[in-house]
Amino acid sequence: MSVIRSQDAQTEGIPVTSCWNCRAAVTGAHFCAACGKVQPLPAGASYFAFFGLPQKLTIEPASLEGQFHMLSWKLHPDNFVRASEFERNLSLERSSQLNDAYRTLREPVARVEYLLEHLGVRKEGTTKQQAPPELLEEVFELNESLDELREARAAGGDVAALQGRLEAAQQNFQEDLDDVDAELAGLGREWDAAVDFGGDESTKKALLARMNEVLNRRAYIRNLVAGVQKELGG
Amino acid sequence: MAYSDKVIEHYNHPRNVGSLDKADPNVGTGLVGAPECGDVMKLQMKVNPQTRVIEEAKFKTFGCGSAIASSSLATEWVKGKTVEEALAIKNTDIVRELALPPVKIHCSVLAEDAIKAALGDWKKKQGEADLKPAETASAHN
Repeated sequence: MSVIRSQDAQTEGIPVTSCWNCRAAVTGAHFCAACGKVQPLPAGASYFAFFGLPQKLTIEPASLEGQFHMLSWKLHPDNFVRASEFERNLSLERSSQLNDAYRTLREPVARVEYLLEHLGVRKEGTTKQQAPPELLEEVFELNESLDELREARAAGGDVAALQGRLEAAQQNFQEDLDDVDAELAGLGREWDAAVDFGGDESTKKALLARMNEVLNRRAYIRNLVAGVQKELGG
Repeated sequence: MAYSDKVIEHYNHPRNVGSLDKADPNVGTGLVGAPECGDVMKLQMKVNPQTRVIEEAKFKTFGCGSAIASSSLATEWVKGKTVEEALAIKNTDIVRELALPPVKIHCSVLAEDAIKAALGDWKKKQGEADLKPAETASAHN
């Protein structure tokens, strides 16, 4: 049996189903266009599709927020108090998915992570991630100096000097983090262009792999920033 | 997620934390990382070139409890073993010993990679054929 799949950019890969109420064709929409009934979540639908967006990384925050509020209002369980239990459950399911989708897509980094996971590039514990040796050396040394500062502080060392070193370290890590985020944003724009102009698969694959590398580097730096912040805050 | 008693025991009382002289020709150093979680692990071993027995092992890991426990256990296991015996240690042995949950299996992979990287470094220093960690890394269970 072949499944008809939509060719539309927004709903690509989502199976075409029929409305549970009136049997009209639906492709991932929240409501049936014919009878207006709320629809079950289709298998394999992404958070992007949930908002009717293409799988691109530039998202206008204001329009996403607007969509979120509009959909929250439309899907709100309060609208279904007199509906059947089946429809009440659908509205709950969709409302909860809406919150997850919004929380993920509104954060630029979470958005990239999500795209890579959705496309099967990044999956914790299953794909082995490689880190370049220079990065490991650098991260190890930074962690060690952070450790030294922590120990010296616990032993009652020169707190003022330590504070200064910590603040300098924090600034360095923060700059690294900003650089990484800028790099990620640049790759995101390249990805969007590839999607818009029908870039070939190998270009897209290479972009996804590079985004994955940058995210890995970011994980290290983010841990370092968090480590320093903890020291400075404590 | 709950850590097993063995993980907690190694986390609270890690064995063989520290470092060995990187410049010593009998010391092999392995530095590996798991970028998904930002963990980084350094494992060093001092090997007797005549007997090929690992006489000393030290580690330092910046990471979660499971990564620390995996590397602590690895240093305990390799001590007194020959290079060949140590290279036969599999990440699945570590998973079993520490009862690691599926989401933490990569920590044991990291420890296995660290052993292989350290001994590869030692072999290189001894003028033996280099063992590339990427090629010897085991399957991920």
